[in-house]
Amino acid sequence: MKETLLLTKHMRENPEDSHLIDSYEKNGGYETARRTLINGSPENVLEEIKASNIRGRGGAGFPTGVKWGFLAENEDRYLVINADESEPGTFKDRILLERDPHQLIEGIIITCFAANIKNAFIYIRGEYAKPARRVQDAVEQAYQKGYLGKNIFNSEMNLDLVVHLGAGAYICGEETALLNSLEGRRGEPRLKPPYFPAVKGLYMKPTLVNNVETISSVPWIVENTGKEYNKLGVEGSTGTRIFSLSGHVNNPGNYEIEMGSSFGEFVESLGNGIRNNKKVKAYIPGGASAPWFRGDQLDIKMTIDDVANNNSMLGSGAVVMMDEDTNLVNAAKSIVSFFAHESCGQCTPCREGTTWLEMILDRVASGRGRASDIDLLLDVCDNISPGLSWPPKMTTICPLGPSAVSPITSLMNDFREEVESLIPTKVLL
Amino acid sequence: MSENIKINVNGNQIESTPNKLLIEACEDSGIHIPRFCWHKRLDPVGMCRMCLVEIETPRGKMLVPSCTTEVTDEMVVDTESEVVKKAQEGVLEFLLINHPLDCPICDKAGECPLQDQTMAYGPGESRFVEEKRHFEKPISISEIILLDRERCILCARCTRFSDEISGDPLIEFIQRGNKTEVNTFPNEPFKSYFSGNTVQICPVGALTSTSYRFKARPWDLKSVRSTCNGCPVGCSTELNSSQNKMLRILGVDNDSVNQGWLCDKGRYNFEYLNSEFRLKNPLKKIDNELKETSVKEIYTELSELISDRNTNINFLIGTNSTNEDYVAFNEFAKNFPTTNQTFYLNDDYLYAGFFEQDINRATIDDLNNSEAIVIWAEDLKENLPVLYLRVRQAVKNGVKLIVFGHSNSTLEDIADFYYSEDIVSENFEIIKDISKLKGIKEHVKDKNVTAIIGKSTPYQLDEYLDKLVSYLVENSNSKIMNAFSSGNTFGAINNLDNVKNLRDFTKNVSSENTDLLFIVGSDPIGRSVFSNEIHRIIEDIDNVVCLDLFLHETSELCNYIIPTSSTLGEKEGTFTNIEFRTSRIDKLVPSPGQSLSDWEFISGLSNFCNFINNIDSLDGLNELAYQDFDNQDSPSFKNLDKPSNFDGIINDYQPNVSTMPNETITSQYFVGKKLYGDNITIRYSDSISLLGAKQFIEASESTIEKLNLSSGECTLKQNGHQVSANYVVNNKLADGVIFIPQNRRNFNRFDFSETIEISPNQSKEALNVN
Repeated sequence: MKETLLLTKHMRENPEDSHLIDSYEKNGGYETARRTLINGSPENVLEEIKASNIRGRGGAGFPTGVKWGFLAENEDRYLVINADESEPGTFKDRILLERDPHQLIEGIIITCFAANIKNAFIYIRGEYAKPARRVQDAVEQAYQKGYLGKNIFNSEMNLDLVVHLGAGAYICGEETALLNSLEGRRGEPRLKPPYFPAVKGLYMKPTLVNNVETISSVPWIVENTGKEYNKLGVEGSTGTRIFSLSGHVNNPGNYEIEMGSSFGEFVESLGNGIRNNKKVKAYIPGGASAPWFRGDQLDIKMTIDDVANNNSMLGSGAVVMMDEDTNLVNAAKSIVSFFAHESCGQCTPCREGTTWLEMILDRVASGRGRASDIDLLLDVCDNISPGLSWPPKMTTICPLGPSAVSPITSLMNDFREEVESLIPTKVLL
Repeated sequence: MSENIKINVNGNQIESTPNKLLIEACEDSGIHIPRFCWHKRLDPVGMCRMCLVEIETPRGKMLVPSCTTEVTDEMVVDTESEVVKKAQEGVLEFLLINHPLDCPICDKAGECPLQDQTMAYGPGESRFVEEKRHFEKPISISEIILLDRERCILCARCTRFSDEISGDPLIEFIQRGNKTEVNTFPNEPFKSYFSGNTVQICPVGALTSTSYRFKARPWDLKSVRSTCNGCPVGCSTELNSSQNKMLRILGVDNDSVNQGWLCDKGRYNFEYLNSEFRLKNPLKKIDNELKETSVKEIYTELSELISDRNTNINFLIGTNSTNEDYVAFNEFAKNFPTTNQTFYLNDDYLYAGFFEQDINRATIDDLNNSEAIVIWAEDLKENLPVLYLRVRQAVKNGVKLIVFGHSNSTLEDIADFYYSEDIVSENFEIIKDISKLKGIKEHVKDKNVTAIIGKSTPYQLDEYLDKLVSYLVENSNSKIMNAFSSGNTFGAINNLDNVKNLRDFTKNVSSENTDLLFIVGSDPIGRSVFSNEIHRIIEDIDNVVCLDLFLHETSELCNYIIPTSSTLGEKEGTFTNIEFRTSRIDKLVPSPGQSLSDWEFISGLSNFCNFINNIDSLDGLNELAYQDFDNQDSPSFKNLDKPSNFDGIINDYQPNVSTMPNETITSQYFVGKKLYGDNITIRYSDSISLLGAKQFIEASESTIEKLNLSSGECTLKQNGHQVSANYVVNNKLADGVIFIPQNRRNFNRFDFSETIEISPNQSKEALNVN
């Protein structure tokens, strides 16, 4: 199995200076945008994006062309790039920001051209100091060259791009919380309905919120046509995707591959197998919010639909391997702790429930569990995500609360004995 | 109106209107959905998740919060399914795991939504065995409000109220997740004029007020519905007492007036009722000393003076009486046909107002229904606080706001046009052509306009206001609200035949034309800007009878002092508000000692002198007050006590206010009132007594520079009278305008038409060097 390099080609070939505008332009950068702005039409760009069948790379996998089509008419519309990459296990946007920021900016220019947008924002997670610096520098370079600002490439188009650094909150990756944060409010998800970003987004104006990887793909699609892009991957999961592989593998890292091969294949070839030749006990197919797969489920195909059909999600493309020595209760606990720490605190079930789950898991993991704790865990989970089904039902505004439920249900469905073995059977006096 | 739609709730068809929130639609049909964060008067946030219900969608049944879901035609809703019950029980369990359950020492216990809904929807027992979340408790977040963060369930009612309704977001969420807490910002107390509302709408005992803490249990409280007589807005209130002591005032949701809100002065200015300094027995001055006497003795002595019905009597009458009191005085005065009795209302700002036939009177609701609001009046936030809230609400609904003058600077932030500098002079005259102003051209000309008009300062000339009002009347479809700002002014002008103001008092009244002066519930010497003149006049008059709650600077000078019942909770009657809306004032607690209602005293005197009047019963007075009205529209007790009229009845009476326009001399200062001042009732209400104690003046930065002030403090001097004060920078004031609060201690003793020397406070400056 081999990588297919579309988005990471430039950075792989120019490891020293791929983030600089000269290097980017030397390799044909900004040519697509220039041609599109001067000769192209917004309708054509949208057609190409639709033809590519690309689905959003942020996690939900919503078809990008359809999303652009939903954008309500208004004098003021905004594009917001969601670069608040915080899902544990995910680090793909980081390299795109850090090592090829101009590809993103070019994608932004084309997107804004297609959607008639004059103001765009890149919201970068607070912890990404270096990527943010690189993007800020790149934006300044682009302004100097006249690729941003007034009359871009001497065309009629004006576009201002603002880089905004978050303050370290996972929840700001949820698009409406991101918009709140960008407006200077508390990073709390908005109510949907009525606040769908495409209708009432930033400053209550129609807003496109897209992931870094999605928009970074736009120049390639426009340059090589959507039809070509659609040929890559498989139906429903077209194109390439950057997977962040981590956990107990020999070669962790970012790999850009066409979707469609199996997780097992991916780990064996590109990940070079599990360390110390151990077996996989369980793995996370798409970031910390995704329900786990067992080690005997490695033949599941890495496509959005295949993973979904197996009751999990490909999410943000974070694959985390856990070998046979892993203490899964501890693993679940650290994921739950993460969500408890990152809950915004708006909804009662998430604010109180995730911390409670963390407390119970902590008790169980340290051998102080009670026989009733397994039922209690499941029932508390049920009060956050009724029915414990997938995709999750919610008693909350956003899916953060139910995300903390995923590892627990995985644990209870497939590894219940492991939990039970930690609970003392006798009453200690 | 839009057509009704039908929705199916728990198998029953109910009717509703489109866009209504599901929780409200259900409530209207008698189906209660439990809730914590949802409040009818606040924007929904859907945070507590208590109001989850199931609705049918193309993708199957879905749990949705009923407080954020709008009803649609044919919607199928289940509020009692197993899934709903489980979710609600779950939410309550979550809310309780970190709640301290200190109900036995919590003021809210007994009227606590968390308690009540736990009983109705909650789990029977707790499964939480860990340590609960702890915070220091309680912390004081202002002089009058305490916050217990352990009890808080983070419903955001207080934060939303402060942000959306009162516009002073001083209380906010900090931290996140499980560590989220409500708090104020460092070094910024919850200094809001409306903070008490957050205590009232808090669904737990997290916010409590100093005045009520540990004073009573809800089930021991007696309560009546009444009307606040603190200012002419006339907010609907509920008075609570225990063991015959007034303990609490709550706002009642009167849709047309206060919508449930009160200002903090209206809410907390009641502790004086229980003060040990209340007058309890009649007093009489003998050899310059006040001695206790009896009412009968006072009657005897007064009857000698008045029984020939030829006495020159005048009245200096306060605005804290009931309509029935005013009727009694008015009827009493008719016994002296040969002399010319006049009622001087204790108000520096009162003037003739705009009541002519061709002027349409505005109601408070008109604010919401007009295209633009024009305000030129005293500072609404300081003087008519809940009207200020209603203006804010209208602006939020898209009504354009045009503000004139230097007074309403607190509205500048939300005003579309704030005409102060260059347009309104230091003397409060509009010095530009009104019709050429952009705000007027675009939003007032030929539009539906509600104007709030009153004197911004006692020295403003009537003609300045006339000009604006005639423009509005001629050029727009305008309704005018006369912004008189003290108590039951509208009741007084409704029921007294000849009303004048304090300026007229100083011009007209002297010992030569007054044998007997009644001073009713007024302390003009302590509070009015005409203090010095009035002091001289009262001293000169031989017989002065005072009816009041306390001894104060004015009552001390009188020959006879009658202790009276407070209009707040100690007597029955009616009150008329700024829209001429008359509503009920009710009695809850007994008044101390031999206190009498104003009308009781005057009717007793009348009887004692064998005058024939029909003023010896409250009902009689009430009937007399409204005898000219159609039986149905009359705000008589009988009508007002019908539940449909609890919110009051508006009348269209043409009042007779005949003040003299003031002369051309105006003040060079912007003299105005603050909400909390040095008045006698606030002085004796412990929890708010210090709020009106700060001595200060306001001016813009450049004005302060011109005065050479730099130490933070200054001294105001004039003819040997001296007040030291802080100065506060208010850059919304036009250049050269210096604001002086007349109702802070001793400021009213200055003659504002003459120059006051303002000099830096030297000694402090020296101290500040280090």
